[in-house]
Amino acid sequence: MNLFSFDFIKTTFSNIKSNKQLFSLSVATNFIAFTVLGIFFLLFVNLDILFSSWDKHIQLIVYLDDKISNPNKKKIELLFNSNDKIDSIFFVSRDQAWESFRGKFSSKSNFVTSLNFNPLPDSYTLRFASGPDRLKNIRDFSEKIKNENGVESVEYGEKWISRFEQFMIFLRGFILVFGVVLFSGMILIISNTIKLSIYSRKDEIDLMTLLGATHQYIKVPLLLEGILQGVSGSLLALVSVKLIHLYIVFWFQGSLESVFRGLEFQYLTKPIIFSVISTGIIVGVLGSSISANQFLHRHNSE
Amino acid sequence: MIRFENVGMRYGMGPEVLRDINFHLRPGSFHFLTGPSGAGKSSLLKLMYLMSRPSRGLITMFGHNMATTPRRKLPALRRRIGVVFQDFHLLDHLSAIDNVALPLRITGFNDEKVVEHAGELLKWVGLAERLQARPATLSGGEKQRVAIARAVIGRPSLLVADEPTGNVDPAMGSRLMHLFQEMNKLGTTVVIATHDVTLLKDVEASVMALENGRLSFLSRR
Ligand SMILES: Nc1ncnc2c1ncn2[C@@H]1O[C@H](COP(=O)(O)OP(=O)(O)O)[C@@H](O)[C@H]1O
Ligand SMILES: [Mg+2]
Repeated sequence: MNLFSFDFIKTTFSNIKSNKQLFSLSVATNFIAFTVLGIFFLLFVNLDILFSSWDKHIQLIVYLDDKISNPNKKKIELLFNSNDKIDSIFFVSRDQAWESFRGKFSSKSNFVTSLNFNPLPDSYTLRFASGPDRLKNIRDFSEKIKNENGVESVEYGEKWISRFEQFMIFLRGFILVFGVVLFSGMILIISNTIKLSIYSRKDEIDLMTLLGATHQYIKVPLLLEGILQGVSGSLLALVSVKLIHLYIVFWFQGSLESVFRGLEFQYLTKPIIFSVISTGIIVGVLGSSISANQFLHRHNSE
Repeated sequence: MIRFENVGMRYGMGPEVLRDINFHLRPGSFHFLTGPSGAGKSSLLKLMYLMSRPSRGLITMFGHNMATTPRRKLPALRRRIGVVFQDFHLLDHLSAIDNVALPLRITGFNDEKVVEHAGELLKWVGLAERLQARPATLSGGEKQRVAIARAVIGRPSLLVADEPTGNVDPAMGSRLMHLFQEMNKLGTTVVIATHDVTLLKDVEASVMALENGRLSFLSRR
């Protein structure tokens, strides 16, 4: 039997037409649920982009002990050079560092100009090759170099990075839990709508059964009806999230750019759009199957 | 072909409305089921057209023991049975002709021949002018004839009719009886429940009578 035969589609649309309000209510509820979910996805996508852009700027700074011995210094440089994940190495002497520091702050702070000694150490700035493992490479290498003799400390914004990473993990978990709750809610709504739709046409379905209609024949239009509810809800939500996205870009892109350094505020990624729509289909199928099966089993147990 | 053995039936927890029903219908036979109102005629027919299940006894339909037949086989069996329901059960959102075509559509036939055939049947029962009418706009007798056309369109092996002439005048009544006889000549087993004994005169058929849920045979053929 062809699932999308003209007959089934005609039946589906005539069912929807005779239950317009119920159908719209279900689409609206799904729409709201998907929109809320979509907004969280939007937040997630953009924070993720922001994070990876920071990631690109991360460099490892190795501060040296003032009293470092020459052999130790050689040994450290050898470690740098033998690591193929390190792209470039800059040595910044304590005098250079002090100069540039003063250059930056002297106009703003009397305190800095009033200092008459140099508190800064010698340092190396290491850039790492880009790639998915970049952060991990930096982390691993910093662990290794930290304990070398003559290394005073290492720095790569570690605290901020791990804090942000933790937040992203939290956000991921939050979206997951929240998504599961909304998912169940949507299934419940669709199954109830389909249940009402079934009971409003109970006589018709009973008659069809007596005339020899198979379960499949009765179920297909109900499944299509459920799928339409889920998919319409998700598509409308994608449109509304797009509008939210455009609104934010229109009003805030200027200020966002200055904060996020040239990053553009992004819409949902293709995989997310795809999974939102698939979720619409899945809640539609599950919701309507639950009610259809419940009804058909009741029917035959008579 | 159709066999009832010690069949009893009750609605829910209620009393038995059918008791110790025993009969056998040969293929191509013609039967009347009579009895006063409330005797259990409709209930017996419900068992035959596989709407209800007996509370005891054995029913065999087309060689299938209904107690052990799996659910998924029921649709195919039901398609071999044409039913004229006492209260018609027409679908209000479909025209007369679409109502008649329904059994074939369900089976997956959906071409112009189906509509053509449905139209012919409606003409035959005197409804040539009402092909596109909605059931709500039809009289009781007209609805009855639409219901009969729907019951016969699938060329069923068994035709079950519950008071099929209750709402028509005697002339149309005998015309419909003639249709049932034609179907019977083509090999369909016919069972007609009626409390109208005048119908029995013109047709050569076996007559079963129900009284308080018990069956007796007035004439066998
Ligand atoms: N759906 C039902 N639920 C409970 N009792 C019913 C139902 N249908 C019929 N009955 C009862 O079963 C008995 C037989 O009814 P029915 O088969 O309709 O008789 P008939 O068709 O001969 O008039 C009656 O006592 C009637 O009240
Ligand atoms: Mg009756």
